Amino acid sequence: MVTLVIKRIGFMIFTMIIVSLILFLLLETELTGDPAARVLGQFSNEEQRELWREQHGYNQPVMVRYVKWLGNFATGDLGESIRFKGPVADVMLPRLWNTAILGFWTFAIMIPLSLTLGVLSGMREGSMLDRSISVFGILTTSVPEFASAVFFSALFVFGLKWLPGTSSMSGGFEFRQLILPVMVLVVYDFGYVARMTRASMAEVMTSQYIRTAVLKGLPYKSVIVKHALRNALIAPFTVIMLQINWLLSGVIVVEFFFAYKGFGALILEASLNNDIALLEACAMVAVFVAVATQTLADIGYTFLNPRIRFS
Amino acid sequence: MKEIETTHPAIHDFKVDMDKGRITRRQFLRYATLLGMSVAGASQMAGFTWPKKAFAAQKRGGVLKFGMLIQEMADPGTYSWTEKSVVARHIVEYLVETGPDNITRPYLAESWEASDDLKSWTFNLRKGVKWSNGDDFNADDVVFNFTRWLDPKTGSSNLGLFDAMLEETGEKDAKGNPVKRMIKNAVQKVDNHTVRLNLKSPVLSIPENLYNYPTAIVHRNFEKDGGDLSKNPVGTGPYTLSEFRVGELAVLKKRKEPYWGGEVFLDEIRFVDLGQDAGAYLAAIASKQVDGIFALDLTTLEAAKNIPGINVSDIPSTQTGVIRMKVTEKPFTDIRVRKALQKTCDAKRQLDIAHRGLGIVAEHHHVAKIHPEYFALPAFKQDIAGAKKLLAEAGYPNGIELTCNVGNTDGVWEQDSVAVLKEDAAKAGINIKMNVMPTAQYWDVWTKAPLSLTTWTHRPLAVMVLGLAYRTGVPWNESSYANPEWDAALTEAESTLDVEKRRAKMEKVEKILQDDAVMIQPFFRSVFTAVRDNVVGFEMHPTRYFRFHKVSLA
Repeated sequence: MVTLVIKRIGFMIFTMIIVSLILFLLLETELTGDPAARVLGQFSNEEQRELWREQHGYNQPVMVRYVKWLGNFATGDLGESIRFKGPVADVMLPRLWNTAILGFWTFAIMIPLSLTLGVLSGMREGSMLDRSISVFGILTTSVPEFASAVFFSALFVFGLKWLPGTSSMSGGFEFRQLILPVMVLVVYDFGYVARMTRASMAEVMTSQYIRTAVLKGLPYKSVIVKHALRNALIAPFTVIMLQINWLLSGVIVVEFFFAYKGFGALILEASLNNDIALLEACAMVAVFVAVATQTLADIGYTFLNPRIRFS
Repeated sequence: MKEIETTHPAIHDFKVDMDKGRITRRQFLRYATLLGMSVAGASQMAGFTWPKKAFAAQKRGGVLKFGMLIQEMADPGTYSWTEKSVVARHIVEYLVETGPDNITRPYLAESWEASDDLKSWTFNLRKGVKWSNGDDFNADDVVFNFTRWLDPKTGSSNLGLFDAMLEETGEKDAKGNPVKRMIKNAVQKVDNHTVRLNLKSPVLSIPENLYNYPTAIVHRNFEKDGGDLSKNPVGTGPYTLSEFRVGELAVLKKRKEPYWGGEVFLDEIRFVDLGQDAGAYLAAIASKQVDGIFALDLTTLEAAKNIPGINVSDIPSTQTGVIRMKVTEKPFTDIRVRKALQKTCDAKRQLDIAHRGLGIVAEHHHVAKIHPEYFALPAFKQDIAGAKKLLAEAGYPNGIELTCNVGNTDGVWEQDSVAVLKEDAAKAGINIKMNVMPTAQYWDVWTKAPLSLTTWTHRPLAVMVLGLAYRTGVPWNESSYANPEWDAALTEAESTLDVEKRRAKMEKVEKILQDDAVMIQPFFRSVFTAVRDNVVGFEMHPTRYFRFHKVSLA
């Protein structure tokens, strides 16, 4: 197991280096266009661009610049944000924290809800409950976030007047402002996890060891809790781990709609403002979280499933 | 308030014009106050009674929350977004104030006088005004600001407004335009509280220019102290900046010292950035998260009108979208191509479709019917056959492909306006490809792109915006238009006091600009905003130069 963890972490670092190289080549070299033009605008003249390249060390060889760039990154020097006029770290960390809060509450509600409904559904495949949950899950998952955000706003903000319309938290943290974004995310995501859980549970319920347990007279509750659940939750575990990654960078729509000052909105702002340093840092963080959650999922999957072993 | 004992001789001529019906009473008030007469004196002369503003009794205290984009606001002299000035306006102040009624009133200058030839303007500064760092406000501050604005290195758009204080150095810039510098002694300190502007040619609009949003007066040590208002918010205004985060929040707190301008009601003003989604602003005001918003988008206008507790304000303005052609970039170096594109425009259709008919039809010269100096040229009509002919003469008998950038900086109506032009232009064989850009990115290219739609805010006098946008070599001349004949015509119009003669001179200004086909400018649009009914004393300003000194909460 220790070897597996070390190998996985090593693979994670290797992936990060490859990604950083791709990111560097995309944003910092002329492979996909002139970085000076990206910062100064497509109609800037060559004189202005050359001055900018000189000032920012862009006339050095690519590998020298990459090593320097990577070194700065590794030592926490993420550069200065053009839009926010300050160090990237100072801008990014509070935004990451805000998205972590949003993600925490989304998970705190979505996971128990989707697992419970998925298990209930999978336990009695084809029943009315199963069909209802499945139809409801498919329905909510197929409605895009921007549509459900409009629908919930119309209902709870303009119609019933129960909830605040935006979530900028400008006066400090207020849980009421979190309700609508969390609601949209939960509704969008729970159906997917519930369906995965259902499928996994349904498969387990038809396996021979469950049939044996039932036939040998074990109480049904005991069969479910002690024998079925552990195996049924392996697949949803991986899916849930992947949702962390989705939550970090996939919440752009929700954060934009509700003016929530999170990491997803920050990525959008960095892109729209050609804020290269901020965009690089955000992308690296998003990739790190993606790779880290994948690694954790792999390790956890192996831990949960003794049939999978790596030597 | 000090009254001016003597009046400019031209005021009497204006009075005659008003009595003969050549100008309205309001226009008389505008001109008389520009020439230094007090509003009270001018009103009395015009027999004009101001309607009493029936505000409910105003309470002290409270926090006003206002939804608006929060951008960096380091240097007031180089601002290019009105929003920045709305926050800064409560910290730093202007020499004069042009109100929602377009009348210019004293502010940091308590009075001013113009010489008979309008070449010398003397501003008497208010005494007893203190900066928030304890220093006295005086003439050195004003001299410092003018010197700074008129130094091309500062990059202030004010260069275009105060051209009469500039001279050519004999050098040319990279674009071949003459490099200018401030004429020695153009701004003169007469004594500690008197400043004189000495112009090379007469300009009537000097006081109104001094409320253009990048003309806020900063402390004389602004640059020595770092040159960043958001980090060192020294001002003469009633508020100070207590919290500031770009893209999130700006919090202004009432200063402890008494304000020279009288009572200020609000304890705190919180500007909250709700992003660029118009729906978020509507949701925030509907759910009482904010008390007002900077702008109401056309897409949310009708919804806002139907929400109880929200007061929607609208005002005709000279805000506009200018689809300008860069005359130094191909194919627009050929006037026939520019004229052809201009001829395809159906301005009325543009206004009806892109702005739901809410505005005034324009005539491609950036002077509006509501500008006092407007001269009515013959109606400009769509001429597809003429456009085709010109295009063929220019060497494009089979049509031409163009790309038009649009940033929707003031709303999606901009994109709609380009879309309508695209449809009309297609009839003449001009195929316009729309390049819809993110707002922030648009401002990177607005002075560089060959063809693009830029929004221009309201200016009370046409000569102000014309000087800013089309005079040769000025920073905001996005079309790179350079026509010495037109420059001279504008300077003449600026310096003519007689209303009839001034209008006659504007005919030349409008005609040359329209004939040179620098722009397609189909309409001037009305502007809208919304505040909740608990906001007392709020007045809509056509330029959205909001100032909450006299606003309170119910």
